[in-house]
Amino acid sequence: MSFRRSDGPADRAESERLLDAARDGRPPAEPDPLWHLLAAAAAPANPAELSGEEQALAAFRAARSAPAPAAARQRRHRRWRAGAAAWVAGLAAATTAGVAFAAVSLDRPEEPASPPATTPGSSGEDGSPSRTPSADPTGSGPGAPTTGPSTTPGATSGGPGRPAGTEQLTGLCRAYLAKPAGQRAGALETSAFADLVAAANGADQVERYCLRLVPEPAPKSPSSAEPTRSTGPAATARSTTPPTPDAARSAKPTHAAPG
Amino acid sequence: MTGELSEAVVAAQAGDEEAFRFLYRSLQPGLLRYLTALVGADAEDVASETWLQISRDLPSFTGGEFRAWTVTIARNRAMDHLRRQRRRPSLPVPVQALSELAGDADTAERAGETIGTEAALALISTLPPREAEAVLLRAVIGLDAETAGRVLGRRPGAVRTAAHRGLRRLAALLDRAQSDQPSGGAGNAAPPRPRTGRGRQAPSAPHAEPADG
Repeated sequence: MSFRRSDGPADRAESERLLDAARDGRPPAEPDPLWHLLAAAAAPANPAELSGEEQALAAFRAARSAPAPAAARQRRHRRWRAGAAAWVAGLAAATTAGVAFAAVSLDRPEEPASPPATTPGSSGEDGSPSRTPSADPTGSGPGAPTTGPSTTPGATSGGPGRPAGTEQLTGLCRAYLAKPAGQRAGALETSAFADLVAAANGADQVERYCLRLVPEPAPKSPSSAEPTRSTGPAATARSTTPPTPDAARSAKPTHAAPG
Repeated sequence: MTGELSEAVVAAQAGDEEAFRFLYRSLQPGLLRYLTALVGADAEDVASETWLQISRDLPSFTGGEFRAWTVTIARNRAMDHLRRQRRRPSLPVPVQALSELAGDADTAERAGETIGTEAALALISTLPPREAEAVLLRAVIGLDAETAGRVLGRRPGAVRTAAHRGLRRLAALLDRAQSDQPSGGAGNAAPPRPRTGRGRQAPSAPHAEPADG
């Protein structure tokens, strides 16, 4: 199409610069209506956009209490890999321990350099510091070497193929009840709620089922909290509190701060 | 990915609820705006589904650009939604919003100055879907062209071209909105232009073309 004369960017490179500037909130040297438009589109959140926060957190809790099959598969795979690595390392340790260790470290650079060679045989199940905290009941921070001969897969609540537990259903119910009434029926058609529908014996029973399971419907509190892009409270909270997955999982959802 | 965001991802994977809250607050606005362009008024529903899946699949996120990972989920959920609705990406609300924008003297006068987020998104949503998506992924979600290309399954060059075309179109729209207000003042030195066509019409009728594939 033919463009009428405008102050639009002359070429792709100029467009790229303008897009980057808008994303970063850097005004250009000369006033540019197009920059204002893009910057407005990328403006910080308004509270209404965050109204689904408690619902998302409920989903997070539900997922934590019952890891998805996909996650379980991945963990199994990682476990297998770790087992194989430990086996190879153990074998090689007899001959050239140093080289083997270096090789293992190079193989898995994304993980803390826990020495699998020191616990050959014992780490077949979970020798690698998993990113999932449930496999690390010692609560040692990331980076701390964990030679976890005592950790068992059973530490994770909810293995693959396990029927949905009460905890998970409670989480799903909270997520369900947090939805506006008009969206509930539609939500039940999604796979995310399939377990709940099955447990309740049908979509039409979910409402009653959930009210029994979660006596008090989760209040749908419109979050007025401001999004914090630079120095969020989350960042400070993270740095001060050690990761305590169990506490986080069992903690009651706090709808305490609607104001 | 900013260090802060990746820190939060790791913490959330470890079960830190506050970290997840931080992720939500950081990413939800962009996701919602992007989804609004894709599915219109159903964006909130699709965003909810998106966060359900993010919660569920978070343990399987193995690194890389987390924004791209989440926006890919959002896009897939939007495409599923549109399939369920048996319709192609359409832009029902935005076109109307544009008419209002062009018809409302005050809005038009302000368009280049203090345009609001909604009006800005409405304008972007009038672009052909490919261009709208490229502009939104770049400017609102904050991906670079390479990453946006991976999300869209297109080459980075194609994303750059689409974004560039989109920006040119938007510039023309803004130009028109301003020139349609001859007595608007607003310190505009440009002489009033004759109205070509009816000013309330987008230069490109919104295509019913699929956003991709």
